[in-house]
Order: sequence, then structure tokens, then C-alpha cells
Amino acid sequence: MIVRLNTDIVAGLVGLAFAAALWLPRADMGRLSIIFPRAVLVILVLLSLILVLKGFIRPGERRIEITGSPRRLLVVIIGFFAWWMAIDAIGFLVSTVIAFYALTWYLARVEGVVRWQRLARWTPAILLLIGTFYLTFKEVLNVRLPTGLLM
Amino acid sequence: MDMLLQALSSLLTIESILTVLVGVSLGLFIGSLPGLTATMALAVLLPFTFSMEALQGLIALGAVYMGSIYGGAFTAILINTPGTPSSIATTFDGYPMARQGRAYEALAGATMASVAGGVVGVIFLLILAPPLARLAVAFGPAEMFWVAMLGLTLVASLSSGSLLKGLLAGCIGMMLSTIGVSPIGGETRFTFGFPPLQGGVELIVALIGLFVIPELLTMAAEGRGALPSGGEMRKRELSIGRIARQIFGKPVNLIRSCLIGQLVAIIPGAGGNVTSLVAYNEARRFSKDPSSFGKGNLEGVVASESSNNVMVAGSMVPLLTLGIPGAPPDAIILGVLLMHGLRPGIDLFTETGVLTNGFILSMGLAALMLLPVGLIGGRLIHRVVIRTPYYFLVPSIAMVTILGTFALRNSFLDVGIMLALGTAGYFLRLIGIHAAPIVLGLILGGIAEQGYVQTMLAAVADPVPWLRLVENPLSKVLAGLVLVGAASALIPIWLERSGRLAKVTDTTEANRNREGEV
Repeated sequence: MIVRLNTDIVAGLVGLAFAAALWLPRADMGRLSIIFPRAVLVILVLLSLILVLKGFIRPGERRIEITGSPRRLLVVIIGFFAWWMAIDAIGFLVSTVIAFYALTWYLARVEGVVRWQRLARWTPAILLLIGTFYLTFKEVLNVRLPTGLLM
Repeated sequence: MDMLLQALSSLLTIESILTVLVGVSLGLFIGSLPGLTATMALAVLLPFTFSMEALQGLIALGAVYMGSIYGGAFTAILINTPGTPSSIATTFDGYPMARQGRAYEALAGATMASVAGGVVGVIFLLILAPPLARLAVAFGPAEMFWVAMLGLTLVASLSSGSLLKGLLAGCIGMMLSTIGVSPIGGETRFTFGFPPLQGGVELIVALIGLFVIPELLTMAAEGRGALPSGGEMRKRELSIGRIARQIFGKPVNLIRSCLIGQLVAIIPGAGGNVTSLVAYNEARRFSKDPSSFGKGNLEGVVASESSNNVMVAGSMVPLLTLGIPGAPPDAIILGVLLMHGLRPGIDLFTETGVLTNGFILSMGLAALMLLPVGLIGGRLIHRVVIRTPYYFLVPSIAMVTILGTFALRNSFLDVGIMLALGTAGYFLRLIGIHAAPIVLGLILGGIAEQGYVQTMLAAVADPVPWLRLVENPLSKVLAGLVLVGAASALIPIWLERSGRLAKVTDTTEANRNREGEV
């Protein structure tokens, strides 16, 4: 998908927005804590303004291209965040098994319809993979993984 | 010399060689997993050395360190994900090589460069430790500030296309580094009233997010694997001799990268990530064909991997002589030294010289061990990665990155920050703001802040405090280098606008075509 966009102006606006978000809470800080961030913020704002000006005078790229399916991109982004939130709610192991199956099924659909027999064939590999990493982190590396409400 | 020979004899035992082999293999495995850094590998394996003799424990950790730094190259080349921060620059050419079906060539090149770098680092450590350590002591706050600024001038050349966007990204990275507790004032900053943010944005979390997640999203959106599904292991690419001739036949790049690696490594705080980025940048700058960098040039991989493996032993110079860790993993080595009653300083080279030299030589042995372990391991990892369908690869990598991110600080928030930065990184990349300058800003932000604030504090009574930044001769030299670095990044743009670069490019193209015909 191609979107017409002046990338210089957008990059400048992103810089300004980022600087504004960090500019406001700076007032409560002591001199030693703010001296460096303030210097960087000033430079950041200057660079952003120059980029916006450049976008009007001598613009660089005027379009962006999202390769592949934007819908799939959006679904996977949402999927990742849902996975993250599910880890807290239902624990790492259960949420990962569900998220892994869901993502594999969704992404494999690019090649055609995924029948349940095919999904079943993947089960040993998926469970082995998740189990190995889970046990390695939990038992060998002693990482306390979230267990959630179900375990 | 006697001490060195005694150290060598204590090293050449079955027990020591096996320790090095196991250490390198474990380090390689952990380092090749995105999110699991050399520091984490050393920290995790540290308890296993408690029951060992001092020398065996140090040998084991040295081997793990060497293996894990090298292991970062695997995922950097195969899936554009630096396994350790030291391999950021390896992705620039390693991944394009993999996508061109030259994955094995890149891996073999990285292995040979790592072996050469590791051995050179050990030689440097053995011979040049005292004078280099004396030079490192001369770096005060102002000098450290300029070192960080010098690193940031790389932003100009790292960002593809726009100097302004590169600098903007560097500033964003530096601002991200200021989130959390201030290193000088001790106040919490930019937490927006959210206490978990007091810990700041962990470098590895940002690194995983900005490098891994955009790649996963691209793979998912395009519905393809990270690598071509087959045909990249062509027979001619299996010729180790040909790759070796390519690297060692014209050793200037290798020698330059090793020297850069050593010089940067002795500066405390500037770890393998800075080392490899500086070496990569200089390799590109001095190359006859700089435009081929970033598109699959083996020299880029060699520069990055040789310099970061020089750093493993090289960063021990300030550690063993002054007790200052040159890189984060060195802090763990320091802990082991202290645990066994060994205090850094001249005593390490006199009273316990056999042990210290044995440890240093063991790192050389670990570097040599990378060759067989790496080449065999490289094939296995390569096979696993390319034979895995993309719809398995995406959730698998996502799972490991989530695990790795969480395991760093047992922080659920870190996983969210990683995903948020990664998603933002995907969209920022679309508008020309790339991940590498952001990460570089994040790394150098802390170093720059400490140097800047400490210098300003010292100059509080001066009429113009900023002048203190360029008061010392060394500061002046470093400031000059910053200006030269920035100017050299602008020169190609000026040349291009004036039409002169087109002529140079045309001539180069013509020469290349002629060579192709012959």
C-alpha cells in the first residue's frame, strides 16, 4: 500500500511531538537532573523545525510504502499486544500456547486454507518448542515466569 | 616469559580445553538467542563456577564471553536480529547477504573475523596492557563527553539518506536514555508518575524492540520468511578457503577494525556495540566502493565481527589494571576475581601472574575454538532457521524475544515497552527514522550526560562554563574529530548536489563493468 506523505514534515512533527511530551514534565526537576535533557531537547526541537522547513522548501521522499497486507500487519500488532496482556492474566505458558497457535494459523492462511488436520500435525512441534523454552527459562535459568490466574 | 610458559602449561590440560569448549558452545548458544546478552550469559553461568578453581572459573567465563559475543552474529545475519548489542553493525551487511542466498559466506566470514579479532585482542592485552591503561586514565568527564559525541557523529552516516533524520533519531535515543533516575542528580525523570519507569528504558529492551519487532511485522505483513527458502548453500559458497582468501588476502580492513576495536575497548563504558559501529563506519569510509555497504558487503561483516571480538580481551585492559570494567560483562569477571581474592592492579601481573596470564591465554584458546564450534554450529543454526516456515518463525522469534525481555529484569512492563518501541520503530522506519541511530543515542546518552554534567559542575565558577569542555588538549583533539566526522558525513551530500559525486560514481561503475568483462 502506497501512502502519499511528505516524510520530512512528518518526521519533524514526530520530533516536535516527542519533545513536547518530555518538555512539559521538566519544570519539577533540579538543575543537575535537567541540564542534559534540556540541552538535548533544544537540539531536538531545532532539528525538527529544520526538517519541517525543509519539507516545504526542498522535500525528500513524498510517499511511503507499506509492503504486504496492512490488514495482516494490524492484526499481528494487535495480536502481540493481546499476547502480552494475556501473559499477565492467564500466565506465560497458557497464553503462549494460545497465541502461538493463533498466530501460526493466521499467518499460514497466506498459503491457503488451514485445515484442522494440518494444525494437529503441527501440535508436537509447537508444544515441544514452547515446552523446551519454558523449562529452560524456568528450571535452568531460574526465571520466575508469570503464572496468571489459571496456574 | 617464564610466567607465560607456566600459564600455557596450566592451560593445555584436558580439563581446561574441555572447559573452554563447553564455555564457547554455551556462550554461542545463549548469544545467538535475541535478547540474551553476553552479560546475561555470564551472569547466568556464574553460579556454576563457584565450585571451580579460580583459573578454571575464569577460563569458563572467558570462553562464555567470547562465544556469546560471537553468537550474536548468527541471528544478526540470519534474521536481522542482533543476538547481542555488539552485533548491531553485523546486521547491516550480514542480513542483506543472507537474503541474497549468501548466508553461509557471511557466517563463515563472521567466524574467521571473530577468531582473528579474538586472537588479536589477546595479543594486545598481553603486550600493550600497561601503556594503554595509562592512556585510558587520561579520559576525564569532558573527554568522555566528546567520545560520546564522536560516537554520535556516526549517526550521520548510519542513517540512510538523511543527516537530519539521523540526528533527530540520535536525539530521540538520548532522550530515551534520560528516562528514570538521573545519574548525577539522583532524581526521577520523565516517569509521568508511573513508578515502574524509574528503572528507565533498558538498552536491551529497546534493542530487541527496535530491531526485532519491525522485522517480525514486515515478515508477517509480506507473508514471507526472512530468508529465501532454498538454494543459498551453493557449493562454491562452501569453500572456506575462498572466503579466507577474501578476508586475509586484503587484510587492511581486518587490521584497521582490530585496531579500532582495541582503541575503543580500553575506554570504559564504550562496549562492543560502539566498537563494532565505529569499525563498520570506518570500513565503509575507507572502502573503494562505499555504496556496496549495507547491500551485502562481506567487509562490513568482517569489520563489525573482528572489532567486537577484539573488545572481549581488549576491554580487560582497564579491568585487570585499574579495576574498571571496560564493558558490562567485565563487571562479572571483576566479581569473580574479587571472589577469589584477586585484586586488579600490578599484583595480578606479578604475584598471581601465572593465573592472570592463564586466563588471558584461555581467551585466545576460546577464540581459536570459535572456528570449529562456529562453523559446525553455523550450519546447524542456518539449517534450522531457513527450513522453518515463516508462520512458525514469527511466533517462535516473538516468544523468545518476549522471554528474553522478561528475563532481563523479571519485568512485565519491559515486554510492553519492547513491543511499543518495536511498533513505533516499524512506522518510524517508513518515514526515514531508523532504529540504529536511536539505539546509538540510547547507548551514548548516559555516557554523554555524565561527562557533560560533571564538566559543568567543575566549571560552575567559570565565566563561560562550556569552555571547560575544550580546555584539555585531549578534549580539543576529540572535539576536532567530532567536527571532522560530521563534516565528512556532509561532504558526500555537498558533492552529490554539486554534481561531482555522480561523476565519481559513474567512473567507479565503468571500472567495475570493465573488470566484470575480463
